[in-house]
Amino acid sequence: MTPLLQFEAVEKSFFGVRVVKQVSFKVGQGRILGLVGENGAGKSTLMNLLGGNLQPDVGSMQFNGNIFAPKSPGNARDAGIGFVHQELNLFPNLSIAENLFLTDFPVNGPFIRRGVLQQRAAALLKQVGLDLPPVTPVEHLSTGERQLVEIAHALSFDARLIILDEPTTSLSTRESERLFSLMRQLRSDGRSIIYISHALGDILRLSDDVVVLRDGEVVGDFSAAGLDQSKLVSLMVGRELKQLFPTRKPASAGDGTNEPSSLMDVRGISQAGVARDISFTLHRGEVLGISGLMGAGRTELARILFGLDPHELGTIKVEGLELTGSPKRRIQERMAFLTESRREDGLCLEASIADNMALVTLPSHARTPLRLLDFTRMREALGKIREAVRLQSKLNDGQAVKTLSGGNQQKVVLAKWLLAEPRILILDEPTRGIDVGAKSEIYQLIHELADKGAGVLVISSELEELTGICDRIMVMSAGKITGEFASVEFDRERILNAALPA
Amino acid sequence: MNHQAPYINRRSLAQPVLTALRSEYLVLFLCLLLFSALAPFTEGLASGNNFKNLLGNLAPLLVVAVGQTLVLIVGGIDLSVTSTIALTSVVGAFAMNGDDGWLKGSPAATPVAVMTMLGLGSLVGLGNGVAVTKLKMPAFIVTLTTMMFLSGLAIWMTKSKPLYNLPSSFTALGSQLWLALPIAAALAGLAHLLLTRSLFGRWLRAVGFNSRTANVSGVPVDAVIIAAYVACGLLAAAASVLYTARLETGSPVLGQRILLDVIGATVIGGTSLFGGKGKVLWTLFGVLFLSLLDNALNLLGLSHFTIMMVKGGVILLAALLDAARTRWLAA
Amino acid sequence: MKNSFRRFLILALNHAIFLLFVAVLLVFSLLSPKFFTTGNLANLLVQSSSTAVVGVGMTFVLLTAGVDLSVGAIMFVAAAVAGKLVLLGAPLPAVLIAIVGVGLASGLVNALLVTRLGILAFIATLATLYVGRGFGLWLTQTRAMNLPDSFLTLGTTKLAGIPLPLLIAAFVVALAHLTLTRTPFGRQIYAVGNNLDGAKKAGLNTGRVLASAYVLSGLCAAIGGILSLAQLGAVSPTFGTNREFTAIAAAVLGGTSLFGGRGGVFPGTVLGAVLIQSVENGLVILNADPYLYPLVTASIIFLAVLLDSTRSRLLAHWSRRRVFVEKTI
Repeated sequence: MTPLLQFEAVEKSFFGVRVVKQVSFKVGQGRILGLVGENGAGKSTLMNLLGGNLQPDVGSMQFNGNIFAPKSPGNARDAGIGFVHQELNLFPNLSIAENLFLTDFPVNGPFIRRGVLQQRAAALLKQVGLDLPPVTPVEHLSTGERQLVEIAHALSFDARLIILDEPTTSLSTRESERLFSLMRQLRSDGRSIIYISHALGDILRLSDDVVVLRDGEVVGDFSAAGLDQSKLVSLMVGRELKQLFPTRKPASAGDGTNEPSSLMDVRGISQAGVARDISFTLHRGEVLGISGLMGAGRTELARILFGLDPHELGTIKVEGLELTGSPKRRIQERMAFLTESRREDGLCLEASIADNMALVTLPSHARTPLRLLDFTRMREALGKIREAVRLQSKLNDGQAVKTLSGGNQQKVVLAKWLLAEPRILILDEPTRGIDVGAKSEIYQLIHELADKGAGVLVISSELEELTGICDRIMVMSAGKITGEFASVEFDRERILNAALPA
Repeated sequence: MNHQAPYINRRSLAQPVLTALRSEYLVLFLCLLLFSALAPFTEGLASGNNFKNLLGNLAPLLVVAVGQTLVLIVGGIDLSVTSTIALTSVVGAFAMNGDDGWLKGSPAATPVAVMTMLGLGSLVGLGNGVAVTKLKMPAFIVTLTTMMFLSGLAIWMTKSKPLYNLPSSFTALGSQLWLALPIAAALAGLAHLLLTRSLFGRWLRAVGFNSRTANVSGVPVDAVIIAAYVACGLLAAAASVLYTARLETGSPVLGQRILLDVIGATVIGGTSLFGGKGKVLWTLFGVLFLSLLDNALNLLGLSHFTIMMVKGGVILLAALLDAARTRWLAA
Repeated sequence: MKNSFRRFLILALNHAIFLLFVAVLLVFSLLSPKFFTTGNLANLLVQSSSTAVVGVGMTFVLLTAGVDLSVGAIMFVAAAVAGKLVLLGAPLPAVLIAIVGVGLASGLVNALLVTRLGILAFIATLATLYVGRGFGLWLTQTRAMNLPDSFLTLGTTKLAGIPLPLLIAAFVVALAHLTLTRTPFGRQIYAVGNNLDGAKKAGLNTGRVLASAYVLSGLCAAIGGILSLAQLGAVSPTFGTNREFTAIAAAVLGGTSLFGGRGGVFPGTVLGAVLIQSVENGLVILNADPYLYPLVTASIIFLAVLLDSTRSRLLAHWSRRRVFVEKTI
């Protein structure tokens, strides 16, 4: 049977650098292809070529047996290719139906035929299993529901090939499962799917075939059967990563004793609709993970701990001292907070690497009067921290942070906080959207910090990650702590059970 | 090899043009270009007297524009500066004028009046800043309504009549170039210092780039924004001192015409309307260019409305340049 | 309890414009018996017709997250052109075509600057404001132009008992409302205003949508200018000054967000326009010190924007994602 999509020796260069090199692979009809590769491996460029945003320099694509050379997203759409991007492309101020048919309204003269619009929308929603009235404004929908609307949109023009780019990063486990069963159903309808993700476990579960990209080349093209994660990782990275997770020494207080001493004591934190009687202790030298489903309240808790959001009841004490007030106060107490979304509130994208890194510790370099800055000392500190986080040396300090890859961006944010020599770090999804190599480096940094006596709180939706690097894991569900596990007891099933609603 | 020649020519032409466009000194070049282009036709442009005139106009404009630059960097905008100028002019004149001023005749008249003006300007800035940060109102509209309000207030207070008879110790500040220029230069220099070398300057930029990131990183965002608006109001009042002194009149419509110039100068200079990027130096060049243009066109005898159209066109070109710089030459 | 208080507050804020309107009417009616008469109210509606029309055009632009600061100048140029033609004795159809032409052309210039050359709307239309005003001043040679009485009758003609300006305004509003709510173009405007890049990715011809908004704004400004001219009977050098602010105020008072994607013309902008006009109307009737007008208007606009900002802030705060729902006892 002819493949649905075929890349033939496709190449693409930017400013003389070959970003996609001689890429050839096929997507069969009614097959799910998992596409994996580190950031910068060429996945997005390939998808841009497929989507008509870019044109190949060399080579060609074939779709449905015909030469396929889209010049615009419209061309790709007309051919029957639908994209569901990581950044969902819906308009919250419009209804579901209007979003679905924004470029394609059923009309009667100049006017929209509203009855027909609702009907068609309802039919599509049924197909993806979303049981909501089409007039619902999209702003009332959860991320998982919005994603289903995006897929419904692809179905609205009968896309034969659907590309899903990192779809599960913002989904709860339940929503992910719903997505997966939808994907299988689409496959049995004869459609094909390209599934791009860093969640290798999902890739192996879902895909019929897997293609691995590295440095712009195809380094693996297999059927999924018989593949395992370590093989995928080694192909992606190109070197045998002995372990993704560094071995963890037992938690030490960093002061020679084996008694882990309390660093942060949280008692009875409650806030209407957000947190219910949260109590726990973070010890020196400990890596404490917080697991749970998306929407369990972990980020909300982190924000409360860092003083960004208020809490009605309860206390937060650091070494006996009660904490109140703003982030500024927390920073004075040597706390750090790496937020969930670096682009939104972790970085100033247009500013340089140096400016971003210096942001938290600026006041320490300021001399009165006029608070003039000591640039020499700043430069020194920046240089040292660059090494500590292993930021790529080819990157120039004056470069705008928006030009960096996800992994490097995250390192800049980390560097910013590490300069303040924090003793408590709260890391919210520290490895989201980051390639395997950078992930491993960040895990190592976390362990180094803990070894030096800091207390690290890690919020993550990747259970493997938490079991790999933490000493203890707390589980949250619907604003409460529902379970606590020490490393010896790490059992993924039990942890997941604690995370599920009662 | 013939068909390659045009290609090579195009590239070697593009390079210097690109470098020039990206240069910080582009606007300065344009000033020199403008001058050399117009000097032969414009009688009096190159005279010493005219230079003094030009500099006298330039000094207060620079002060206002620098204040605006600070607010633009932090991601806001202050459209009320011109009516701040009018109101402070009027209030200062009320205090010190020789006819029925509150401090008529007193040697303290000038300093007290100046202090009052500066204080009032800062107060206006405070009001704007608080509305934008604590009340979360869009800067655009807030400063627009402030502008209407203050201008109306000034006109109401004076019943549209200007106030004369200001003490000579005051008017010297504006009319004596050797006083006005250093004042303007000092204020601009101070702003430059703060922007480039101080904590406040870095905080301004951070808030302008991404206020959420700044907040998480411990920057006192609201305080920084309010400070920028206060500084802007203060500088507008300082400019008002210079203008009022120069005109020797407390006028309720003072500065009405310069909003175009203030915005134009900062945009031409290159300060980004999105926040984060801006330099006092850029604004200086922008002010120089606009003042020169204004001066030359006036000398050429162009009517007031023609000059308006030309300035409008220049702003368009500047904005085009800015768009080009950000979109096509992103380094 | 807490919940019902919240609901009341939101209801109040959502309909703040109505409340403000009623408050203003009440205050002026109490202060002067001459205010709340059919004659005056009818007068009021006619007086607000020009602001309403310009405001409608501005609403389109604001919805796309843009702004058009040149509408006052466009009003001026349209009035100047119309005035000149009428004084030259041109027939009415020619004058109308010329007005429409001025509006469309100005709008097109703005559209090109913003969509093709990528200049920020704020700056582009500020520049065209000055260019336009300069041009208008050149046309009128900075002198006032008095129109013959025959033109003034346009302002007072009634069709079926309704003054012509009001009919024209109602027609424009109806057309605009239909467009925004029932046509693909109208819905696409909301999409573009919400997320320009997203709209491009979704395959919308954003250039065309944006351009259309500015062209419509120019057209509405020209029509509004003529409506204003018909009532004033003369084009002075300050004709149309500050009208961009009243237009923005009318739209914002009516619920249109300066950030795009939210708002509408009916009742929105129309109500905003009538509100602004009723304030001025009321002050005139009270023989208030004319120097106070700008103070009062500015305060009202400030209040309206404050209410709007407060509402959106509270709504955002209250509709933050709940991790769990409390059980009420």
